[in-house]
Amino acid sequence: VSPGARMRRVVGLVDYSAGNIRSIENAFLHAGAEVVRVRRADDVSSCTHLVLPGVGAFGFCAERLHATGLRPTLEEWAFSVRKPLMGICVGMQLMADGSEESPGVAGLGWTGGMVRKLPAAGVRVPHVGWNTVRFEHAWSGIPLGYTADYYFDHSYAYHVPGSGKSIGMCRHGEEFSAIIQRDNVIAVQFHPEKSQTAGLRLIEAFLSQ
Amino acid sequence: MRATYLKKRLIPKLLIKHRNLGRVVRPVLVTTHRFERTVEIGDAVSQAKIYQAQMADELVVLNIDGTPIAGDAVMLSLIERLAAETFMPLSVGGGVRTVDDFQQLLEAGADKVSVNTQAVESPSLIYEAARRFGSQCVVVSIDFRVEPSGEARVYVEGARKATERTTVEFARHVAEMGAGEILLTDADRDGTGAGLNLVVCRQVADAVPIPVIVSGGCGLAEHFIEGFVEGGAEAVAAGTFFAFRDQNPIQTRAHMRNAGVPIRMET
Repeated sequence: VSPGARMRRVVGLVDYSAGNIRSIENAFLHAGAEVVRVRRADDVSSCTHLVLPGVGAFGFCAERLHATGLRPTLEEWAFSVRKPLMGICVGMQLMADGSEESPGVAGLGWTGGMVRKLPAAGVRVPHVGWNTVRFEHAWSGIPLGYTADYYFDHSYAYHVPGSGKSIGMCRHGEEFSAIIQRDNVIAVQFHPEKSQTAGLRLIEAFLSQ
Repeated sequence: MRATYLKKRLIPKLLIKHRNLGRVVRPVLVTTHRFERTVEIGDAVSQAKIYQAQMADELVVLNIDGTPIAGDAVMLSLIERLAAETFMPLSVGGGVRTVDDFQQLLEAGADKVSVNTQAVESPSLIYEAARRFGSQCVVVSIDFRVEPSGEARVYVEGARKATERTTVEFARHVAEMGAGEILLTDADRDGTGAGLNLVVCRQVADAVPIPVIVSGGCGLAEHFIEGFVEGGAEAVAAGTFFAFRDQNPIQTRAHMRNAGVPIRMET
């Protein structure tokens, strides 16, 4: 056991009433972290890690998140103090400038670019089920070239972030970014909290940051 | 060597009935035969944990009493327990009537919500739910029975009531309304082990651009393979097969891999 593994980890789940936050909470508790819900700026003071979840249409999630007023807090956390933050599913897509799903609705713009609809070119959309992610960069102890199957459930994808980099790639009809990174921000299109052993392993890698 | 594309899914079905024990109502896990003759087989949470250990890809949970899910503390707390004790996708339905029902189930820990009777009676629910939660969250569960004429008729209310709709036409309609998946069940094959309805499955799979989960009739590992290869399904769901057979999802998975069906073999 590394010394880091014994450190107290307090995960702040951004709670803006957009999605299945309970399953994410359960997965982090299982990984040995404490979990608090972040609804106001003050709530992050006790946290070591933040998670930005999101299930629903892009526009709905973006409007709910903007309405919380948490954006400056999240940006200070991620890009001034540079502490670890993980986006999941639409929580990843929100980091783009916008999405074809909800034209005219602004995202957080942290990693630029647009989220686009997956083309139904010889494949079925939504992309539902277990698909392989290939790590194009090493991250948090996971080596370059590592592959694992994770559970996906989405119709829109973040093909090319404008800034930051694609850590992991997946293919469904065409290639898209399954994991992106900018500084200490990591974001995943799939659901680690629903991906059994492989997902818990990824959550542990995030907690070791 | 890992197949680097989307895998086909094996999905155990957990069929739930409310059992009144006098002072308390408990959820019990059952199997059904042609949507009738239910047999109690135990506790849903214990069974779900077994399925997770056996590498099931997802779970379908259905309240087959069809009682309104809104405020149903028995079902909602069951979903909460399933979400707390397993780390796999949960698709939940039975008695879903409104967008708010979707919200309640998602907050309890469901990942997807399925609609059946209400999809026929009020198809705008599909559109409203897809706009609010995204299509990937909206499953339409279609139960059908094949008539003597060969027509596959859509049934609702636990496959007790025939509708005006035919299966392929209705499947196309719900996909256009924003459904993200179709759970397609032949009510006359349910629990019989006689094999899936490959003809109707193929017709539906060819008619819609969204994934089809086929169900009703799995009795042998070969039936799953047929569902993928001949039926064109993305997933096969089974209740009785996994509950009573010596076969478990790991063994079924090995059969499928040997037949060349892309399937998850390691976690």
